[in-house]
Amino acid sequence: MRIAQRRSELKKTLFVPGILMLSALLSGRLTAQDMQSNENHAQYIPAISGGLGYIHNVNGGVTSLIPQINPVLLVPFGSHVLLESRTSFIGFFQRRNLTSGPFTGKVFKSVDYAQVDWLANTHIIATAGRYLLPFGLYSDRLGPLWIRNFQDTPITAPIGIGTSGSGDGFMLRGVATQKPSYSVQYTAYFSARSDINQLQSARVAGGDASIFLPRARLEVGTSYQRFLQDHEINSVSTYVSWQPLSVPLDIKAEGDYSYNGQGYWIESAYLFQQLPIPSIFRRTQLVGRMQQFFPKNNGGNNLPSVETNRFDFGLNYYFRDDLRFISSYGRTFSSHGNANIWNVGFTYRFLFPLWPGRAK
Amino acid sequence: MKFFSSYFSVLLLLAGILLTAGAKAESSSSTQQQNTASQKQARSQPNGEEIFRANCVRCHMPPSSMSPRTTGTVIMHMRVRARLSHQDERLLLKYLAP
Repeated sequence: MRIAQRRSELKKTLFVPGILMLSALLSGRLTAQDMQSNENHAQYIPAISGGLGYIHNVNGGVTSLIPQINPVLLVPFGSHVLLESRTSFIGFFQRRNLTSGPFTGKVFKSVDYAQVDWLANTHIIATAGRYLLPFGLYSDRLGPLWIRNFQDTPITAPIGIGTSGSGDGFMLRGVATQKPSYSVQYTAYFSARSDINQLQSARVAGGDASIFLPRARLEVGTSYQRFLQDHEINSVSTYVSWQPLSVPLDIKAEGDYSYNGQGYWIESAYLFQQLPIPSIFRRTQLVGRMQQFFPKNNGGNNLPSVETNRFDFGLNYYFRDDLRFISSYGRTFSSHGNANIWNVGFTYRFLFPLWPGRAK
Repeated sequence: MKFFSSYFSVLLLLAGILLTAGAKAESSSSTQQQNTASQKQARSQPNGEEIFRANCVRCHMPPSSMSPRTTGTVIMHMRVRARLSHQDERLLLKYLAP
């Protein structure tokens, strides 16, 4: 009985990636032979990308081993239609009695997104299927492990991501207007409620708008979401992202508000690229983050129930642009107790073509 | 809490220094650029490299190289993720897979 149930679960888990792989094979035939403009030699062939990593985490004396891989399948049909999907396989292993005994745990599987995008023009990119709910800077943009400066997401990350982080429905996004000195971007979406295994989502609607100043490399944006099932609530986020031209510095900040609480985080990352030190050390990145969270209505929805403050410092080292060593130390302060959090590990970004393509 | 306020102060100070330096650099460069109309024109029209540098770092370390075989697919993916315009896509492809 249990074997049959496992088989059924495995079938369900492999169904979406299986369909996508089949599409990849079919699209390879269609796209490898076309799409080459006079301007460039770019080709549109199926590819597999994603992140791979291993994190050794110690939180309040409890050790967790977290290996993970998040393959992203990209299947273009010409230059205007893209089928893309990301599946996460995250292992989580702890000692049986938390601080003693052998390590035990399991691998969690989830389909983060499986969507079809129609890149109609500059102003409209229409998406249907399962997509990441765009809210603030995380989830949609800084979610992948090879992108994040810190592996631990901010305390406010659960705000605005529904019940699973993904939505099932449709989404419109694009560039509302673009000038050499600025561009205004938007996203609007609606997600239906779903209880299907691996495709869980909440009934939500929302949007995001941001203005990006490319010369200053400054972006300011805001997100709004209305949760439309059970207790209907609003969530709002405002964010800033700045990468000054003259200094290899990355500053990001976000303030989030929801029925369950509000908070903010500020993060800065400095790459030693310009320092007068041996070149081998110039690949080092120093990162820092501080955050505060204030619960409302006793918190909940994966948010703390008491006021929580936290700071983190980290040191990352880029062996290459796609491979880095990561380390960080953080401390949380709350009335439930203070705790030290350590993270050590590595992340790797991979990209492989799934179709031979043409020689240039 | 003391830590937070000092961290915040340092961050603000750093931002102030960078803003001042950036404003100075921009004012001196804009003075030079007023010299010729063609330079002004070149500045108003960003090229593929500028788009690449400005947009990739918004989220991650820019890749040092990319195979022309996968460039079209990856730029499509990034156009969706980063909400790039069709013109950005065209110039990026011209720069990355000339």
